[in-house]
Amino acid sequence: MDTTLLLQQIVNGLVAGMSYVLIATGLTLVFGVLRIINFAHGEFYMLGALSTFYVGRLAGLDYISSTVAATLLVALLGMLANKLFFWPLRREHEFTILLASLGLSLFLVNGTELLFGADPKYLDSPFADETVEVGSIVVTQQRLLIFLVAAVAIGGLYAFIRFSRLGKMMRATAQNPEGAALTGIDIGFVHAYTFALSCGLAALAGALVGPTVMVFPTVGSWAVLKGFIVVVMGGLGSVSGALVGGLALGVIEALAGNYISLGFKEAIGYGIIIVVLLWRPNGLFGGERIAR
Amino acid sequence: MITRSLTSAGAIAALTALPFLTANTYLHHLMVLWMLYALVALSLNIVTGYLGELTFGHAAFFGLGAYVTAILATRFGIPAIIGLLAAGVVAAAFGAVIGYVALRIRGPQFAILTLGFGSIIYTVTTYWVDVTRGPMGISNIPFFSFGRMLPQLETARQSYLLALVFVVATAYACRALMASRTGRAFIAVRENDALAASLGIDVFRMKLLGFVAATAIAGLGGALYAHYIRVITPELMGLPYMAALIIMVIVGGRGTIAGPILGAFIYIGLLELLRAAGPLRMVIFAALLTASVIFLPGGVVSVAAKLIRRRPRVDLQAAS
Repeated sequence: MDTTLLLQQIVNGLVAGMSYVLIATGLTLVFGVLRIINFAHGEFYMLGALSTFYVGRLAGLDYISSTVAATLLVALLGMLANKLFFWPLRREHEFTILLASLGLSLFLVNGTELLFGADPKYLDSPFADETVEVGSIVVTQQRLLIFLVAAVAIGGLYAFIRFSRLGKMMRATAQNPEGAALTGIDIGFVHAYTFALSCGLAALAGALVGPTVMVFPTVGSWAVLKGFIVVVMGGLGSVSGALVGGLALGVIEALAGNYISLGFKEAIGYGIIIVVLLWRPNGLFGGERIAR
Repeated sequence: MITRSLTSAGAIAALTALPFLTANTYLHHLMVLWMLYALVALSLNIVTGYLGELTFGHAAFFGLGAYVTAILATRFGIPAIIGLLAAGVVAAAFGAVIGYVALRIRGPQFAILTLGFGSIIYTVTTYWVDVTRGPMGISNIPFFSFGRMLPQLETARQSYLLALVFVVATAYACRALMASRTGRAFIAVRENDALAASLGIDVFRMKLLGFVAATAIAGLGGALYAHYIRVITPELMGLPYMAALIIMVIVGGRGTIAGPILGAFIYIGLLELLRAAGPLRMVIFAALLTASVIFLPGGVVSVAAKLIRRRPRVDLQAAS
């Protein structure tokens, strides 16, 4: 077996995995804290990539500033979605919430298609064509950027949940919403910034991955499916589970795509979750919720 | 009890008469689609409405049934009636294996696990080109007939009546189920599975039973669809179909018999009406869908039930 190729595939897998981690962390956060399965999560990923494109074009900003602007913009959109849909529905049956998010997802996909067209867009980044070589392994700067920014974002999020006051409020809400409200925590506020964080992370993933792929309104369904695989594999509601699950999925897919078949690569992720769930019904890190 | 039988008889008579009210073949086509979707939505309702588990894999069983009969008919020239039965049996067999594995897990994990199985079936169908012809799909599937020598059901009106027979049979079976001890056990499992288990109900067996029955009916629905549309592609198992089925059951009213049938009607009717809206069609559809979920969490039948001041047979409010 060719070790260079193997190492190259593992590196590619880790980079792809890191983008899965960003998507899945947002999903797991919303589920862990608010018990909501957000089917529209992938659409925030898509909106992240698309708004980076349009902010860059319309405001004439460079790639980095438009990434930041797009992330903030989509985080605000997430808060708006929460305000309009998820907060008013919080006491409803889980099917209702899930279907509402499915409706929101359809609405966002078709709305974007109507406004911006269904044709694929290419997001320009100054890092897309430059490469970094370590030994015989070649990575584009963009991929390195995905990995580093995602690592910093996840690290920051972890510290935020662990040490900050707002993070402690999130953990309290995750453990027991009524109890948290009784101690004076504003649950509505927790809802709002959890959604902002979750959608912001999805948008960041979209803005980072955007330059390596084509961007069109239906990419979100791909993203949300990957996110689901990772989240269920790692354990719904567990941030560390999302990290391990995402990286594992990325690497396994890269290797399977290389050594088995590109076509069946998509099915392999599902094959893995089936095995994992049979072995541990709550996922790899299922026992520990976001809080503990 | 007598009024209920009369209502059902009236509804069946009205549905039978429906295609004879118009000569418009496009309307006939929509009616066939309505009945086929209603059949599959009724089957999904067994799992989602009665057992209270959300499954995202149901479209895969629908597609599986369609592919079984299509392959049997186009490759081996096997009559559609045998293909139909084979479709039901194969879908049920897959349902039994997948259910046996997946039903040990509950709630959101179960939903996503079924999504996983559904996607695997979809991927295999797409890439196993030798058998399924891959993304090109299978075309020239013969019309449905009851035997090699018997005439084929070539018009939409005939297909409609055939599908209606299946819908009525399934609706009747669902009603009989809900009137039986097994049906009450299903509801008990939905409301509180720990309590149900403590009463001596075998929760896993009940779920498996419901799941296999639902997948068998979905397979039959797929086979009828294949013989009617005559061209099938793997997209039958894709995300949009899966979402459509769930929309029909929940918008119509889960846990009822009229709900999924009504849901299928609303789904098809609304999308047709919105053709006038041009490019805004799907945007308006999504907005209406979201609004209906928010304002009518019990589905459209809950309004009807309120209007005639009769409680829905299976109380939805107790579900949460």
